[in-house]
Amino acid sequence: MAFDALSELDDDALLVLYANGDREAARLLTLRLGPRVLGHARRLLGDAAEAEDVAQEAMLRLWRIAPEWRPGEAKVTTWLYRVTANLCTDRLRKARGGHTGLDAAPEPEDDRPGPAEAMQQSARMDALQQALDALPERQRQAVVLRHIEGLGNPEIAGIMGIGTEAVESLTARGKRALAAALGGRREELGYGED
Amino acid sequence: MAKTDTTGPLGDAALDALLAEARDTPDHLPDALMARMLADAEAAQDARAQAVAPAPQRRGRLARAFAGIGGWPALAGFATATVAGIWIGISPPAVVSDGAAYYVSGGGAAEDLYLVDTMPAYDRIAAEVQEDA
Repeated sequence: MAFDALSELDDDALLVLYANGDREAARLLTLRLGPRVLGHARRLLGDAAEAEDVAQEAMLRLWRIAPEWRPGEAKVTTWLYRVTANLCTDRLRKARGGHTGLDAAPEPEDDRPGPAEAMQQSARMDALQQALDALPERQRQAVVLRHIEGLGNPEIAGIMGIGTEAVESLTARGKRALAAALGGRREELGYGED
Repeated sequence: MAKTDTTGPLGDAALDALLAEARDTPDHLPDALMARMLADAEAAQDARAQAVAPAPQRRGRLARAFAGIGGWPALAGFATATVAGIWIGISPPAVVSDGAAYYVSGGGAAEDLYLVDTMPAYDRIAAEVQEDA
């Protein structure tokens, strides 16, 4: 099938094609899902190298489960977020909370803003990542899924295996903790001079 | 943006703006990682294709011997012969039982089988010679 025609298919259909041996479906799924998995892992772990390992492992699990995938039962992205979060949790437990958040924030390579603005944006994202790193694991996961990945509470509840009320509680507490952690960093965020 | 909040927690608007900025920052997939993911994907496809392909048949010695005697059709013939043998043993036809009687009985009837005259004309020739004499 042509690449253009494939790109209009949803993740479910692409996964079925992939399971049937379609190489283009594999490529398109990687392009579509790889960045999201990597970004999610990076925000949960605060470590770029570890996040790459987790993202590769999560995608590998997707490739392996593809033949048994039942279209329509669950969203591919929901499944991937759950697998990614579980892999991150395993890594964080092994590291006993000793992740190295300081130098690991994502570096945006798209430098359409001017260099000064890019540096400011990078500093803001660094500060946000460090504040996220300081949150309890579940709060961090809920805040990232709700406010950065932009998912709805029912989907987050499915990913985290909890009720929607628990999601609301976690995101509310997480946001309060973030606000408190970032309150003393207004200069870094570029908000101090406003 | 949070103009008057210079101390204490960051205001809601500022925090929401920061999170929105993070949401709008595209996640970049490094080329090397993309290549590793694709290699995994294709390796998984190849492994599955090999697993699905039928394995070449390897027949053992017994299977080859079985095929040598004709396989299942021959076995059906053996089975028929076996059943027929059992049936004849249980309920023998007259011709079988009469013939068998010569072998199983120890009496004179059995001896008759062995009294075969190999030169039936010799007695008559001998008698004629005797008469001439």
